[in-house]
Amino acid sequence: MTITAGCDVGSLTSKAVVMKNRRILGAAIIRSGPKPAESAAQVMAGVLEQTGLSQKEVACCVGTGYGREKIAFVDQVVSEISCHAKGARWLVPSARTIFDIGGQDCKVIKLDPHGNLEKFVTNDKCASGTGRFLDVMAKVMNMKVSDLGKLAAKSDAPVTFASVCTVFAQADVIKHINARRPVADICAGINTAMANRVSMLANTIKLEKDICITGGVAKNDGVVKALNKILGCRIKQIKRVDPQLTGAVGAALFALEKNNGDKK
Amino acid sequence: MRPELKEYNLDWLFAATFNVSRNLCNATPGELKAMFDYIPYVRPLLEPLLATGKPAMTFLDFFGDYYTDIVHARENNKKVVMTTFCFDPSVFHAIENLVPVTLEIGTALTSMLWKRGSSDFMDYCTEIGFSETGCSSQRGAMGAYLAGLGAKIDLVALNMGGVCDTNANAYSFAAQYLDIPYYGLDYPANLTSAEVQDYHHKDYRALIQFIQDNTGCRFDIDRLREVLEEKKKQDDLMNELEEMQRLVPNPVPGIYHVMIYAGRYIFSGKKKYTQMLREMVAIVRETAEQGRSGLKHGPERNRSFLAYIDNYSLGIAMIEWFEKKGISHVGSILSRTFAETAPYTTGVPGTSYRIDTTSLDTMIDSMADINARMPMTRTIRGPYDAPNMWLEDTISLARMYQADCCIYCGTPGCRNTWSNVKLLARDLESVGFPTHIVHADSFDTRVEAWETTQMRLEEFYKIRGLL
Amino acid sequence: MKKVFTEAATRLNIPAIQKWKEAGGKVVGYTCSFTPVELFYAAGILPVRLRGIDATSMEIADAYYGPFVCSFPKALLQLAGSGRYAFLDGVVISNGCDTMRRLDDCWRKMGQDMPGTAPPWFYYVDVPHKPDGHARDWYVNQIKKMMAAVEKQFHVTLTEEALGRAVRKQNNVRRLLWELEKLRQADDLKVTGAEAYAAIVAGTVMPRDDYAAHLADLIDDIRTRKADVAADRKRLFLSGSVCDDFDLISLIEESDAVVAGENVCFGVRTAEDYVEETGDPVAALAARYLSGSVCPRMLGWYRERASMHMQRIKHLKADGVILQNIRFCDLHGSENGLFERDLEKNGLPALRIEREYGPLVDRGRLKMRVDAFIEQLTSQKKSTLRGNHAT
Repeated sequence: MTITAGCDVGSLTSKAVVMKNRRILGAAIIRSGPKPAESAAQVMAGVLEQTGLSQKEVACCVGTGYGREKIAFVDQVVSEISCHAKGARWLVPSARTIFDIGGQDCKVIKLDPHGNLEKFVTNDKCASGTGRFLDVMAKVMNMKVSDLGKLAAKSDAPVTFASVCTVFAQADVIKHINARRPVADICAGINTAMANRVSMLANTIKLEKDICITGGVAKNDGVVKALNKILGCRIKQIKRVDPQLTGAVGAALFALEKNNGDKK
Repeated sequence: MRPELKEYNLDWLFAATFNVSRNLCNATPGELKAMFDYIPYVRPLLEPLLATGKPAMTFLDFFGDYYTDIVHARENNKKVVMTTFCFDPSVFHAIENLVPVTLEIGTALTSMLWKRGSSDFMDYCTEIGFSETGCSSQRGAMGAYLAGLGAKIDLVALNMGGVCDTNANAYSFAAQYLDIPYYGLDYPANLTSAEVQDYHHKDYRALIQFIQDNTGCRFDIDRLREVLEEKKKQDDLMNELEEMQRLVPNPVPGIYHVMIYAGRYIFSGKKKYTQMLREMVAIVRETAEQGRSGLKHGPERNRSFLAYIDNYSLGIAMIEWFEKKGISHVGSILSRTFAETAPYTTGVPGTSYRIDTTSLDTMIDSMADINARMPMTRTIRGPYDAPNMWLEDTISLARMYQADCCIYCGTPGCRNTWSNVKLLARDLESVGFPTHIVHADSFDTRVEAWETTQMRLEEFYKIRGLL
Repeated sequence: MKKVFTEAATRLNIPAIQKWKEAGGKVVGYTCSFTPVELFYAAGILPVRLRGIDATSMEIADAYYGPFVCSFPKALLQLAGSGRYAFLDGVVISNGCDTMRRLDDCWRKMGQDMPGTAPPWFYYVDVPHKPDGHARDWYVNQIKKMMAAVEKQFHVTLTEEALGRAVRKQNNVRRLLWELEKLRQADDLKVTGAEAYAAIVAGTVMPRDDYAAHLADLIDDIRTRKADVAADRKRLFLSGSVCDDFDLISLIEESDAVVAGENVCFGVRTAEDYVEETGDPVAALAARYLSGSVCPRMLGWYRERASMHMQRIKHLKADGVILQNIRFCDLHGSENGLFERDLEKNGLPALRIEREYGPLVDRGRLKMRVDAFIEQLTSQKKSTLRGNHAT
């Protein structure tokens, strides 16, 4: 019974997952500090404590995320694109397209019919279409990001945002607040603006169903709903685990393969 | 792209809108008022347009013709050529079975008539691989044509090489994407030298050869002559309006600028455009005789020169704002033809064009010369401080029309002007023209909402004591 | 790795340039690969390709250039404004693209504001956007005018013999560069991208005779090597906006990849990439510099370019292509979109990257993308080998 681990060090959050063969034993998410090595150590310690295991018992550990090269205790590093793809495909076996919307990045990943990485596109231009956009707008609305989605659900008339720029859209939000537009409609408008930006990136590659969504923004039902509407199909949400853990899950799976000498 | 946009072709929508609006000449004021409630997004253009009276009806009429021709081109056995606004269409009008479609006009119209402008089409261009940072003026309508939501294009012919990469590049991309023939005229930095003149003439002949080879048609010399003679009349009428614009107060309404240059870019050499210009001249003469300004209400409090283009997002908000503030619009880079007979030409040889209809050769040379002096092709082809280039043209025009200040409006895609607008602004300020740089996108309201643009304009006019 | 090449690739004012100047020689900078360097060699002047490496901030450039423009010419302006190009006796600016040609406007203005930051001589050359017919005739005339201007400014006479000699010597360099390319086409790849690239870029700033000797030396050395640097690594081709950025190639090669070739505005493209040595040298120069369209500024010539690229990529045995463009570079940005589509039609995976020109501040982001691309290539290959069995 092999125990493997995956550690995903992102710029905003760090995640770790421990698996025993193909079963998740434990998982942890923490806010990243400025030093990726320390964040990695911290989150790993957290999940090991949770599962009552020690680092020695982990046969193989794969690191991913922007801080992956700095993690002392990993045996291999793999890009988060491959890890999210791996994790998502395992969690949603029919997945062909994956939207990974993180705090600062937005990626659309396409798999071939056998689940191999076929193509990916990433946002290069700006923060629009990333979690940052939601963070900034939620701040202007004086609410938590998680509330954006909940409140948006009550709207059936989302406001239209004139600007998609994270900086300028704030002025738009204020304008709508001053015009006494219903809060639910503004929240829905924020989600729609975000989803529009993501869908434009997504449409640069030919989308194949099933589409699933990972990363922190996957927990925002409002954005998912808006994406469903714009794309004209239902995105499969990840239910088995917190979707933010997908990268770490994928990393743990890569660790298992590496350990079994099964090169992919 | 939203599914509803795939229901109708874009040019069909324009044709339908203009053809229906033509009938408004018979509407009573009460009927108009009632109708406006049903067209909240077309109203921002239509209402101020209709307020101009007869010229509006002619404008709607020929725009209806323009788009109807495009929509029915195929069934009428005509070829469709995709071109740019600073390519004078006279040459196309002289060919029996060729219909031009100008992208920027389409993009500007979506900005003026649609709730969100053409943002879906612009995004579509990005989705198929076109650079998102390219000028938005092409990307709007181009997205529709590349998505198959417009007339089928047979060939691409334009100028702009050497003047505006992002423009020429967009058309080159479109030609490649649609797998159709492409010809671009080339423009060196100098305007007036004999060497350049000769190059223009040779290049233009090669363009004509290209059109003939790819459409299988020939010029009808008489028809060409007719078109150019008509253009001469149009130039004369525009010159008269330009002359009257020098009066204080300026009797020419701001909205006329948009109507005049939009008409020039699509209907040069055609009779209905001449008719609109005549109607405009008649109205302006009367206004001038009465010593009134062309503003709808109130006195002229400021005269502003647009160093580059107008802002079309959304509706004609900027022009309406000028009206509200008592700001007289004394034209933009888009307004002037540089015909030899115009009041603003300097008399320096080579800076303006002459239309000579003596022979096919002289007519082709005339068209080449007209094209070399179209907006942008003339002004931003060379170093901004070279003779007859952006700085000199702006200063002499701003002085001539007694502008109090200069405004720069453009798009973030304009690599050319953003690379030297700071230099221009400095120099304009140093000769006494307060200058404001707008960071919005004239065709895409998502870059900067009109409210923000307006706020900044208010600030500028207030702080510089211009109103 | 030849030290002299790495030095030339990573420094602006190299010892060779200093030596040239100390001996009383003149140095003229140029901005674009469409400028015939032979002309300057014939006049006894050292032509130096202007590069933007080392520009770590943009505050001077931003005072002249507006926002929404490519950072490459801004970097050039920044360096000039910081005095880093004080060694130039002149600059030739051509209309490579709108932003580059405005370097003329901005640099002259900066020279007025800050004396000493502009060279004593500016020359603007109009390169046509088409390669043939009246456009080529035009370019012949522009070259002649440039020759006359050089003669006047630098008090030299450009004879036909001198020009012919310069053509032959530069052709020698081109032939050597093609030898280097052929070595990179070999099954056993014995030179890394970083090494080859440094050698190629160095050729645009080092005195030609010196350079040719070192290059010949390097080629001989490569031939004696045994190790295959591409063993267990992916061979990649780099294409797109101007890239004199040694760092980017190194970054790519930090992952499991080797850059087998590049089309980023330097080097030679085909075996036929040389200037005719018979007949009128000016006509021959115009013919070569305008032909074999390699740059999207030659509007309407995409098909020829794509075909030439595809051939090169296949001969270099590339497993994948990285298509990069500098943010706001619409010419390459859009052409990359078309090219990606055509590459994939031909079974060649491509990765499009948009970046800012300058010190690789977004290093981590770029590396992640390259890593992921290589993982993609690896998994696709394995999938093909296993006959696509389900995972």
